[in-house]
Amino acid sequence: MIALDYSGSLSFSNLAQTRLLACKHPIYNLAMSIIEINHLSKSYRVYQKQEGVWASIRGLFRREYREVQAVRDISLQVEPGEFVAFLGPNGAGKTTTLKLLSGVINPDSGDCRVMGHVPWERENEYRRRFALVMGQKNQLWWDLPAAESFRLNQHIYAVPLDEFDRTRDELCEMLDVTHLLGQPVRELSLGERMKMELIAALLHSPEVLFLDEPTIGLDVVAQHKIQQFLKAYQEERKNTIVLTSHYMKDIQALCQRVVIIAQGSIFHDGSLDDIIDRFSGDKIVTLQIGGPDEVFQGLRKLPNVLEVEPPRIKFRIGRDDVARTLSDILSTYAVEDIVVEDPPIEEVIAKVFTDAQGGQVDDESHPDIAGVS
Amino acid sequence: MDATHWYGRATLWWTFFQISINERLVYRIDFVIGTLMRFLPTLTQVFLWWAIFDAVSSAGSADSASGPDGKIAGYTFSGMIAYYLMVIISRAFSSMPGLTTGIANQVRNGEIKKFLIQPVDMIGCLLVQRVAHKLVYYLIAALPFALVFWMCGDFFVSGWPPPDVMFVFITSLLLSFLLGFYLESCIGLIAFWFLEVTSLTFIYMLLNFLLSGHMFPLELLPTKPIDLRGFVEFMPFKYLAYFPAAVFLGKVEGAEMWRGLVMEVMWVLFFILLSRWLWSRGVKRYSGFGG
Amino acid sequence: MIQPSYLNVFLTFAKNSMIRDMSFRMNFILQCISSLSWAAMNYGLFLIIYQFSDSIGRQTGWGESEFFIFLGTIWIINSLIQTFFMANATEFSEMIRTGNLDFALLKPIDTQFLISFPRVNWAQLANAFLGLAVIIFYLHQLLNDPSKKMDFSIWSVFAYVFFVFCGTVVMYSVMIILASTSIWMGRNQNLHNFWFYITNFYRYPMEIYERGIGWALWGTFTFVVPILVVSNVPARVLAQPLGGHWGLWDWTLATMSVVAAAGSLWVSRCVFRVALKSYRSASS
Repeated sequence: MIALDYSGSLSFSNLAQTRLLACKHPIYNLAMSIIEINHLSKSYRVYQKQEGVWASIRGLFRREYREVQAVRDISLQVEPGEFVAFLGPNGAGKTTTLKLLSGVINPDSGDCRVMGHVPWERENEYRRRFALVMGQKNQLWWDLPAAESFRLNQHIYAVPLDEFDRTRDELCEMLDVTHLLGQPVRELSLGERMKMELIAALLHSPEVLFLDEPTIGLDVVAQHKIQQFLKAYQEERKNTIVLTSHYMKDIQALCQRVVIIAQGSIFHDGSLDDIIDRFSGDKIVTLQIGGPDEVFQGLRKLPNVLEVEPPRIKFRIGRDDVARTLSDILSTYAVEDIVVEDPPIEEVIAKVFTDAQGGQVDDESHPDIAGVS
Repeated sequence: MDATHWYGRATLWWTFFQISINERLVYRIDFVIGTLMRFLPTLTQVFLWWAIFDAVSSAGSADSASGPDGKIAGYTFSGMIAYYLMVIISRAFSSMPGLTTGIANQVRNGEIKKFLIQPVDMIGCLLVQRVAHKLVYYLIAALPFALVFWMCGDFFVSGWPPPDVMFVFITSLLLSFLLGFYLESCIGLIAFWFLEVTSLTFIYMLLNFLLSGHMFPLELLPTKPIDLRGFVEFMPFKYLAYFPAAVFLGKVEGAEMWRGLVMEVMWVLFFILLSRWLWSRGVKRYSGFGG
Repeated sequence: MIQPSYLNVFLTFAKNSMIRDMSFRMNFILQCISSLSWAAMNYGLFLIIYQFSDSIGRQTGWGESEFFIFLGTIWIINSLIQTFFMANATEFSEMIRTGNLDFALLKPIDTQFLISFPRVNWAQLANAFLGLAVIIFYLHQLLNDPSKKMDFSIWSVFAYVFFVFCGTVVMYSVMIILASTSIWMGRNQNLHNFWFYITNFYRYPMEIYERGIGWALWGTFTFVVPILVVSNVPARVLAQPLGGHWGLWDWTLATMSVVAAAGSLWVSRCVFRVALKSYRSASS
């Protein structure tokens, strides 16, 4: 009835040791990355429903399915202590990748190791060492106070009582929800509930944390609070966090490394600044110019003027042209102030996504790409 | 009302009807299994009653070709089984799984608002949906039904009834669909006043099971110490299962049969009016409270 | 290796469910009443039947008192199933549909255990008490009836409890197997119906199937899906329809009961594991 893991007492000391080490410098740090993904692929079969009554009746006897390639040959390494963001449009495969990493689903092909474990083997030893938080789903008991769900997790993860109490109090304090512990979860606000979800996931001090859109649907204040918390938590514990999000703010605030996934493949892997360097050749220049309004007439003729609001003018310009254009302007006008900045990150990302979609037009027309494994 | 109005209405219903059918066909395995499963309880009933009739019959008759020869409340063993089979037919028309809770849930989670905003009538929508679901059900269930009835043909000792009885039988079946629909709608609409109708639904289910003749022929009900047998005559439940079956099997005949049919029409009308009334009062109350 | 204490987890489940039930007290009471009235109706049906006949089946020994002990046993087993597993099996189907099974898969504890026990529906336990009362009443009747040759001792009680336990395990396994199929079928609206229909067969003494094509059912539900054993073995231990002497057949049935419990549990685990492999985790 109950599958006990007869690993014996020998591995107990092993685990304790790993745990201890993991807090500072994980032992596997020297040997390998904490997350290793090699050529991972996963596709879904989706029932293709036809329109109309007769088509439905036909569907009773013969069904047509469509293959959707959610993750396409992804390879990736994450080092201990990294805070990585998966960024991508809806349906790009971010969540599927997280689910593969947490062993919830099995891949079609490819290989993956997290802390040396194959996730989809779902060994208890592995499951005790990571956590997954999904912003769209909740694991807390709806009708009970969060404290009761926490207690349940304590038993499930076999967290020693004193350690549990300490962790819980610390987390509750950090997130400022101690006073809400006794309230039924259904009576909490979305933001409060998310904080509780985070606590529930962190009670067993996971070494690796997967966050799937943790701030979805939250207001700016709650978003900010959760960002701050995650930052502080990660700085203190130095654990490895992989996060997916739609909010650039989350990513800007937290992650040094961004992996852009589109159409199931990795499109870019690097820092946010890299993205701008790589995908946007433009700069935004704002000038403040003294003198009468007439002087603006000349400047209005510049290509790509974004905004004219004397005494300021804002325009977009190719990166390579910045120096030349500015020196021209400086020699002609009485410039009081100059700001040269990168275009907003959201804009760049949007462009990246559009490019990505343009690059690979249609799944079905490329059977070799969408191929069944 | 001009013609375009009615045309618009008809197309609306037709679209809705198609959507309902489509939705129904998606879950096919469920469907076929569900239909076949429906006959399993009857199978146990056959054996249960066989054993009971066996005990009240003369020795040795149990395994003879015509089954045990005893009688219980006017039913022979074949008659009893034929009754249960016919009740399945009645219930295929009158049972409305999920209707009450569906309405109650819509009221509770505020989905009902869309019927207040859009120019469609909720009860009407549900009726069309139900008709669609039932039709799909008959389409798929026809074959297993035919098979079972063909196999069980021997239980129907007196064969097909005369045409006038057949007419009353079919009419009473169609009416039992309407009766079931409006009766359960009314219970669902009570959700406007009591949000928790689950228990109410349960009581209804219990009464229905007991008093409709679903569980056993109503002739078995005791007359003493309480006259339950007399009581069910004045209840709408018996038209949901017992009446069509009894008509088909000739248990209710002549004037009594026609009187029953008229009573059934009255009950249908009563519940149509009641549902209208509950709906308008409920909506008033609902908008009064601001949702 | 750190192991979660399964007992502690279960007790937390039971406690949490109790807290939840108590915060919806009215609902709790209504549930008790409704399941009790359902049983009462069942009782009524057989009271009516025993008005017309004094036994179910000729010379099977299932007279009124014996049969109501049988019925009480059914109530107890059903009630245990509904208290501990029914809501969980339904919830399991729901988790598959909504993708919330993800969370269960993440936990470092046996997944089948985790999805089998989280909700304890305490209200459903009412029927077990009713069943117990009915059994005690009719057992008393039987013991005071000099025409019955009852062989009753404390061991009968132990044996009864043991076989009820075995039966519950069988029913639990059947239920988990049924619920697991939702992974392939997407939605399993018929789970409840299916359950109702299958359990239909175990609600009556197995003797009623011993004729004609009934033998096919008898064989299927004794040896393949052993649900007839579930109810018949414990009921026979107490009611002793054919007297207190255990013949070869009784011993065979009793052995079957134990084998069935172990076997079905094993099968349920296999089916559960295979089913999990096909889980595709619905996106929200």
